[in-house]
Amino acid sequence: MSIPPDLKKSLANYKHNSLFWTDLLYLMSNRQQSLAATGPFRKFAINAKTLSTETIEMNEDMTEFNTRLSEYYKQLTDTWNEAQKEYSRKVPELPNDVEHMEASKRIWIDIFENYFTRLFDSAEFAENFGQLVSSELEIAKHWNNMASTLLESANMPTKKEMDDVYKELHSLRKRVAKLEKIANKGGTPNGQ
Amino acid sequence: MANEIKVDPQMLAEFIKLNKNIFEAPNLAKSLDEINLEITPHEVVYTEGKVRLLHFNPPVQKQLKTPLVIAYALINRFHILDIHPKKSWIKHLLNQGIDVYLIDWGTPTQINRHEGFDDYVNGYMDNCIDFVRKETLSNAVSLQGYCTGGTLSTVYSALYPKKIKNLTLTAPVIDGRRDSTVVSNLAKHMDVDKLVDTLGNMPPELMYYVFSILKPFEQGFEKYLNFFKNIHDQEYVENFIRVEKWVSDTPPIPGELYRQWIKDVYQENLLIDNKMYVGGKQVSLKNISMPLLTQVAVGDHLVSPECSMPIHYAVSSEDKTLKIYPTGHVGMIASSFSQKKVLPEYAQWLVERSEK
Repeated sequence: MSIPPDLKKSLANYKHNSLFWTDLLYLMSNRQQSLAATGPFRKFAINAKTLSTETIEMNEDMTEFNTRLSEYYKQLTDTWNEAQKEYSRKVPELPNDVEHMEASKRIWIDIFENYFTRLFDSAEFAENFGQLVSSELEIAKHWNNMASTLLESANMPTKKEMDDVYKELHSLRKRVAKLEKIANKGGTPNGQ
Repeated sequence: MANEIKVDPQMLAEFIKLNKNIFEAPNLAKSLDEINLEITPHEVVYTEGKVRLLHFNPPVQKQLKTPLVIAYALINRFHILDIHPKKSWIKHLLNQGIDVYLIDWGTPTQINRHEGFDDYVNGYMDNCIDFVRKETLSNAVSLQGYCTGGTLSTVYSALYPKKIKNLTLTAPVIDGRRDSTVVSNLAKHMDVDKLVDTLGNMPPELMYYVFSILKPFEQGFEKYLNFFKNIHDQEYVENFIRVEKWVSDTPPIPGELYRQWIKDVYQENLLIDNKMYVGGKQVSLKNISMPLLTQVAVGDHLVSPECSMPIHYAVSSEDKTLKIYPTGHVGMIASSFSQKKVLPEYAQWLVERSEK
């Protein structure tokens, strides 16, 4: 299940048109913008195009996300309906005493548990769920990129920059631990 | 009246009683925040980053020279091993005279996202075990790994066999190909690279989702119905709230550790095929030659017995025992059954193979 070709084409046209006009308006207003936006805020004006691009691309991924989400709810609803039918076949009448109530509750739980476990165990469910999470992560990526653009405009560290620091710290910690071990053993970095 | 509905008065009474119990519940049960899960007194004897090594205070004189180090799972927290005085795994072992240490992995944050198996096994675990060896003047320790802690313990024992006297694995995640659980089905279809590259660590919210689809009707409906039905049973209520608090608290998993775990254990099955690499070293299960005890539960819907049992056949140990219990993943370590059956057998196995 993916986006139909016609929809893909119209999204591509929409993206092209939007970016074309964003570019042109940016170029046309460049002089005026330079005059209006001074100092650090000018950076934000320059980065505005990134925000439009990310928004457009995020909309594309929203389509994929919605498709997967609809399928996810369809799987849950279909399974619920099938389980309910099975329960109605097994317990055709409303229980009217404590003993029957307990028994029918047990049957209800067993039937629903079996149907749903079968669904969660199926390759179809796992594949769609994997794609659903994946499309959600694509949206998260755009959101991260937009947040980074705003942070960069405000001269604050971005996610990528912070991650580079974490990576460096991780590598330094490893090197220090290695050197500590060598020092404790009274050896050399070559392990001699 | 032709359409009159006949309702059994006893059923009505049960319904009214249940409603009464629901209204009374706040007065009879503590909220999660009011519960302290730390029961058995312990000291933090070593820390490194967010990882802590706990040493439990022995209530009786130490009987065994060989200490036991427990490597808890990466999911939820170690408190399940000490959840209730009457169901505490740790307390039971202490009462047998076993010297118990436990590695608490703490709560990783984004700064830990680059930590992987190498950091956990060659770093944290090795440093904790070296600390215990030094403090107890022991050449080798007994190691217990529970769930994903079992995976880490297996890798550790394969890389450092001389430091491990006895290896005990309780529901370890070993052979993802054979795992028939819902968890494994989702793990096999997950784009773990995209997840880690985008989010950094594996977020707890996604872990909760995975737990919520395990027996959703029994766990999400019947369990709570029984709670309200038994609201006047103080012991039942306290135990329920303690377990619920434990279930609801799971830390994130460091990104690189999660990536390698999902890929090497569930998707490409490298661990059981002896093709997994940790810190540049190949993990060969044949290096595990020390006595091995593997405990699995037939009703385990988180790690199926088929996923754990292959370790019993993959190692080169001559002294190896496989125990299969008629219980579940948590039932094996924190239940009355565990206290009556699993723990006595576990302690006896350990005592017979430890230095006195």
